[in-house]
Amino acid sequence: MRNHRLLLAPAILSVALLQMLPAAARAGDSEFHSLVERMSDYYQKRPVRHMGWLNFFANRYTPGGVSHFEMAIFDDVDASRTHAIEELGSSLVSLVGPSYQPFVSVQDLRSGEWTSIYTRESGKEQIEMLIISIDSSDAVLMKMQLKPEAMRKWLEDPMERGRDARRGAEDAQRDRM
Amino acid sequence: MNARNKKIRSGALAAFFVAMLLGTLSMPAFGQNPRLDIKNLEALAKKASEVVDVNLDGSLLKLASKFMTDEDDREALGIIKNLKGVYVKSFTFDEPGDYSQADVEAIRNQLQAPAWSRIVSARSKHDGENAEIYLMTATDGGSVLGMAIICAEPKELTVVNIVGPVDIDKLSQLEGKMGIPRLGEQTDESGQKPEGHRAKP
Repeated sequence: MRNHRLLLAPAILSVALLQMLPAAARAGDSEFHSLVERMSDYYQKRPVRHMGWLNFFANRYTPGGVSHFEMAIFDDVDASRTHAIEELGSSLVSLVGPSYQPFVSVQDLRSGEWTSIYTRESGKEQIEMLIISIDSSDAVLMKMQLKPEAMRKWLEDPMERGRDARRGAEDAQRDRM
Repeated sequence: MNARNKKIRSGALAAFFVAMLLGTLSMPAFGQNPRLDIKNLEALAKKASEVVDVNLDGSLLKLASKFMTDEDDREALGIIKNLKGVYVKSFTFDEPGDYSQADVEAIRNQLQAPAWSRIVSARSKHDGENAEIYLMTATDGGSVLGMAIICAEPKELTVVNIVGPVDIDKLSQLEGKMGIPRLGEQTDESGQKPEGHRAKP
């Protein structure tokens, strides 16, 4: 009996910790959470479950100069709720709010995918980057902090980095399936 | 008392007119807005397979300059800190001939004299690549207010709009940065690099 108790305690502790981790990852950025909420309201759909887990681990394995990575994926969204591509830019601006400035946008007119990248200053020598990638059936929202070395790469070739971001969002959707 | 009031009123009026005059002098002359309307090139966008926009306005440029701390960036930084904005729009097409010269006219129409003058026109018959550089100078002919670059390749068309004072001789410092194409890689009809090559009027 005593042995059972000894095994049970760590197990309960592990389960409690496991329950807490995604919440902790989410609570790290309430602004991102509220942005996800706004997108959820818009699409009338919740993001893919367990994204908190993914974010928690992704945060530890992001490439050099990138930190505080967070991501939310909305799949199988109602295509009728996705704006016409001409209106998408302005509706995204109202969604992300005035503090973010549009930096790069990439439209793939064959797939109908639109990727918009916004930036804003975040503390000393840090840039906060928000990437929204939308097509007729999915939407991906990514937020991260860039250190100077990562931002320098964006400034060197913003068009190619924008294309990379679009491909990254595409991969995230595919890998999740 | 009345005389004093009159004096105050006429003094205020004079100050108002001086302020108006100074304000007018500090503004570019009518029609001298170096910012191009490159957002709405719908006809081109409809033919393209991909459209990329880069927007680096004043505050973002200021922010960007904080990150350009490399020794190599020093000269570019000197140019960037005076700029009001760098805007790039690039169209990629599936096949050569998917866009026409008439489509490019939508951009060229905004680059009319006397506000704008074409200072470089380079063409490569071999690769079918064209590069045109336009400058907008202040009416006094002194300072540069802005620059426009049209870079046309068979399957790609890029329009760059630099708003603010930029020295044409130092443009090479910005090439390959912030979405500005490397113009030095293109050659004109005589096989020379386009820098410093004056267009025929």
